Amino acid sequence: MPEGAHSTTNVGSEAGGFRILGSTDGNLRIAAWGYWPADVVSAFNSKAPAATQALVAVGVFVFDCKDLKPQGAEGQDAIRALFRTLARLPFAKGLIVKGNAMTCMQLSRLLRECGAEKRIEFADAEDFGS
Amino acid sequence: MGSAEDDVTKVIYKFYDALEDLLRARGTAAMDEIWHHTDYATTSHPFGSWARGWTEVKVNWDEGAAVFGVYKGHEHRSDRIGGIHDLKVVVLGDAAYGTGIYRSKLYMSDGELNLSLNCTNIVHRIDGVWKIVHHHADQAQPDWQAAIGRMVQAGSS
Repeated sequence: MPEGAHSTTNVGSEAGGFRILGSTDGNLRIAAWGYWPADVVSAFNSKAPAATQALVAVGVFVFDCKDLKPQGAEGQDAIRALFRTLARLPFAKGLIVKGNAMTCMQLSRLLRECGAEKRIEFADAEDFGS
Repeated sequence: MGSAEDDVTKVIYKFYDALEDLLRARGTAAMDEIWHHTDYATTSHPFGSWARGWTEVKVNWDEGAAVFGVYKGHEHRSDRIGGIHDLKVVVLGDAAYGTGIYRSKLYMSDGELNLSLNCTNIVHRIDGVWKIVHHHADQAQPDWQAAIGRMVQAGSS
């Protein structure tokens, strides 16, 4: 793959899903939307924490949640697994793109529970041109 | 059994009692009970977007309970956090709606945090039982939302 080239994983439907956009330059972007059914939760559990291995010490992690709804218990567990993995990894900057205020509160709570609140901060969607 | 209007009024007051339970970390059982668990249930909160269908509606109330799980301002107080005022109910067959103003007061570490919002609740009678199928509260003012956000981030009120 050429330098900086991207690989994409898409899971789910318009109603709920996620997309992992990895790159060879050590950055990682995950976009998530809607309310996740069980099959999406399962896929996120297996793919998202593994994808973080692509992050390098100078890399940037972006979790685009502007269209994500608050998740049920299983979805929250899947996000916790991602946050716990990230809390242990070296990377330069972590950002969550904000949307639904209730989702932000859920993600803020999950970050705190996973000890990742100092590693990942919230950002406005406008800052990302989205 | 009272008039339909009386029954609907009681359901709406019970909804706000259930909300009080949820905000005071007394669980979500009463909130779960007051709703018809239907695909057309909908809710919107002072700091949220629409939840559509009972699955999403329940997740929103559960998250509301989690958010306020760290609120300790009423731990040693007997006054209510909030309640519905100026409630007006209209019954139309097996459907009814109530409009009112929800007022609440939170005691945060840096002072009181007041809220006053217009609210609408729709109640549906299924098999003779009136329950909530729709709840809408106006969005709270930005400073109120920001204060709740800080509470969640800090893990304390």
